[in-house]
Amino acid sequence: MLGSVTSVAIVGVEPRPITVEAHVSNADRELFSIVGLPDTAVREAKERVRSALAGSGYRFPRRRVVINLSPADLPKAGAAYDLPIALAVLLADDQMRAPEGGLVALGELALDGEVRSVRGGLAAAMVARRLGRQCFLPAGPAAEASVLRGVDVRSVDCLRNAALGKVEPPDTTTGPIPEPESRVRSVDSPVHDLAEVRGQLLARRALEIAAAGGHHLLLSGAPGAGKTMLAQCLPGLLPRLDPEEELEVALAWAAAGRRRTDRCVRPFRSPHHSATLAALVGGGSGVPVPGEVTLANHGVLFLDELGEFPIHLLDALRQPVEAGAVSIARKGASVDFPSRFQLVAATNPCPCGFTGDRLTQCECTERGRKRYRRRLSGPLLDRIDLRVSVARLMPDEFIGPRGESTNAVRSRVVAARKRQRQRGVLNRDLRAVELRDMRWTEAATALLNQSVESQALTARGWNRVRRVAVTVADLAESPTIEEPHVAEALALRADL
Amino acid sequence: MSGELLRLACGGLHPDRVRSLLATHGTAQRTVAAIQRGKVKVNDRVRAAIDVSAAERRKELARLGAACILPRQAGYPERLAMLPDAPTLLFVRGSIPSQPAVAVVGTRKCTSYGRRLATAYGTAIAEAGWVLVSGLARGIDGAAHRGTVNAGGKGVAVLGCGLDVAYPREHAGLADSLLEGEGAVVSEYPPGTPPEAWRFPPRNRVISGLSQAVVVVEAGVKGGALITAATALEQGVPVFAVPGDVGRDTSRGTNLLIRDGAHPVLDPDDLLEALSLVLGPRRSTRAVLTGSDDVTALIGPGASLDEIAARARLSPGETVALVGRWVAEGSAGWEGSSVVPVSRRHTTDR
Repeated sequence: MLGSVTSVAIVGVEPRPITVEAHVSNADRELFSIVGLPDTAVREAKERVRSALAGSGYRFPRRRVVINLSPADLPKAGAAYDLPIALAVLLADDQMRAPEGGLVALGELALDGEVRSVRGGLAAAMVARRLGRQCFLPAGPAAEASVLRGVDVRSVDCLRNAALGKVEPPDTTTGPIPEPESRVRSVDSPVHDLAEVRGQLLARRALEIAAAGGHHLLLSGAPGAGKTMLAQCLPGLLPRLDPEEELEVALAWAAAGRRRTDRCVRPFRSPHHSATLAALVGGGSGVPVPGEVTLANHGVLFLDELGEFPIHLLDALRQPVEAGAVSIARKGASVDFPSRFQLVAATNPCPCGFTGDRLTQCECTERGRKRYRRRLSGPLLDRIDLRVSVARLMPDEFIGPRGESTNAVRSRVVAARKRQRQRGVLNRDLRAVELRDMRWTEAATALLNQSVESQALTARGWNRVRRVAVTVADLAESPTIEEPHVAEALALRADL
Repeated sequence: MSGELLRLACGGLHPDRVRSLLATHGTAQRTVAAIQRGKVKVNDRVRAAIDVSAAERRKELARLGAACILPRQAGYPERLAMLPDAPTLLFVRGSIPSQPAVAVVGTRKCTSYGRRLATAYGTAIAEAGWVLVSGLARGIDGAAHRGTVNAGGKGVAVLGCGLDVAYPREHAGLADSLLEGEGAVVSEYPPGTPPEAWRFPPRNRVISGLSQAVVVVEAGVKGGALITAATALEQGVPVFAVPGDVGRDTSRGTNLLIRDGAHPVLDPDDLLEALSLVLGPRRSTRAVLTGSDDVTALIGPGASLDEIAARARLSPGETVALVGRWVAEGSAGWEGSSVVPVSRRHTTDR
């Protein structure tokens, strides 16, 4: 006799269906075995399922019971397969009526049959939607999965009710539900409004252009100049996540066991420079878990004190920045994590931080300054189109007029992004060929050539300036790229 | 010139030793003979260097485009020749200009304050029609030379190593620019001499000896810049020093000089005023900015973008574009978040 329930495993950030099959047959000896690459927690499901069945008023078949988790080569971990295993056993033993069209289930069982919360609710709901099946989830994950349309998610409280089909639509009214694990905390970025930023004409303009073209941005300035606050303004300037992006972000966060509270604001992640490689790009033993670059997918990755980051971390960022994805290979599985984030880096211009400051004299030696700058240079910096210095405000500027608000700037950003969507590529990703085929006016080309002659522009800077110029033109809603657009781009790539 | 003197000068001995040997033995011929007979003890390297024939040495100099000049020979600066410890021979690339000369020296480990001032002084001295003398070292020396080169002026670099030794390596281009600008690179050490620490203090008496005034921009309490100031005082050359923060290491030396009687100098104009008392009237100059004239009007010595926008009444985008044009034409650049004028001025006689 055979019973089967579908469950889910998360590979990278991608949900994969797992078929949980139970086979109950007559045998001389009682046997209960689980096959299909289970980890210890899955193997221990035996004891929980046995007790939970007894506690719910069912009997555990006193025969030969084999559970197969397929595909067999995919490692399975955790207690979330308790519920599907128990339901599959009941189906195979004819103690429960098979639901029409099959079932997707996920949940840990208490010894008395209560269903406990687990991670991966959204992933299970996605699998259920793909297969067109009903989805049984514990209350918390069910609420999490309810954002997904077109799938019948049911919240189950105990094994008996699940087996009897006494399941309810998820309750989304009770607000945030406690997380399954205590180490998971809700991470919400403080998002500042641009109107709170006074002065800083250059940095504000750079933020607007960065938001419009998706360009990576380097802010350099004295301690206390407001680099962090400016960076925190960026998520608000970006267009809101569209439903597809929102789902991708939610999946990535779910895979990392984290939960977002404001779903449609772009994520803002700011890992400390003492972060480990695995925390930054993803990894961990067994099945890899996404890192900060994946949590920042479709959002902003802010690296404060870029010069303090160890070289190996900066090198590890190259692949995610260039490819928009990072692949992590482990013995158990090799996975690709999406990492299409916008990089904002902040740094002091020199070890003491006061080069070019109007209030404090820089006291660094030339050698110290050179060494510091050398740490910042390299392939990662090459990908940063916009580099601006942030000035500390003079005392009288603190009481200056408030600047333009985030909403006002965002409307221009959204329009500029629309033009890029029509072209099919974000300006950050424009290649030399595509840049060449844009419509540059003669004056614009002349200015570019002039700046090469006056050595204000190097070959490396050439394409960066042109990409930024395209964004400036997009913001100005100009079909051609004109001289003022190039001029502006030239001012925004100050080499540290 | 006697071949023996050239051979002796190419031996790589300390300048003081060469002078005392010449004093003891009377002539270069006798000195070289004494060394060869083993009467004077020198190490093997020096002996081997002295054994090289004078013809060979002359060929080597010709290959470098360098000349060697004796005191009282044409091209050897008169004031230097009058010193009791004048170099027995001077190796020169280019020709030492005859105009009044000012030395601008300072520490290698300078701050941006010193660097900026050194460049400005270098430019101002060039514009006044004077010659800038310095040591081509990293930091202040290099910045001062650069200021002169930017302004199209003449400069002399006095090295502590051979003329063919690029030290510091990053200033090789700067030395070439000096030669292109009708300046000179000078050393009392023969070609091939490596930059050894003990060769630099004697070099400083040449810097002050070539100059009618010495300006110390930044200096610690120890170091070559203070040695130059000391040799200048011995030679009767007036010393100027740039004041700085009392607590900052790179200004302790200059502040001490001022306390001990050096003339404090402020901005480049102040320096020119003070120098004209020593050197005579400066050449009247007219500075021509290569870029648009509104650069200086709008930014003065340096301004933030917010200030420029307020002064020019431009939108943020227009302001950024304006600065971009300045950067493109090379008339302004960034220093941190401030826009500063780039001094690319040529001087013209009025």
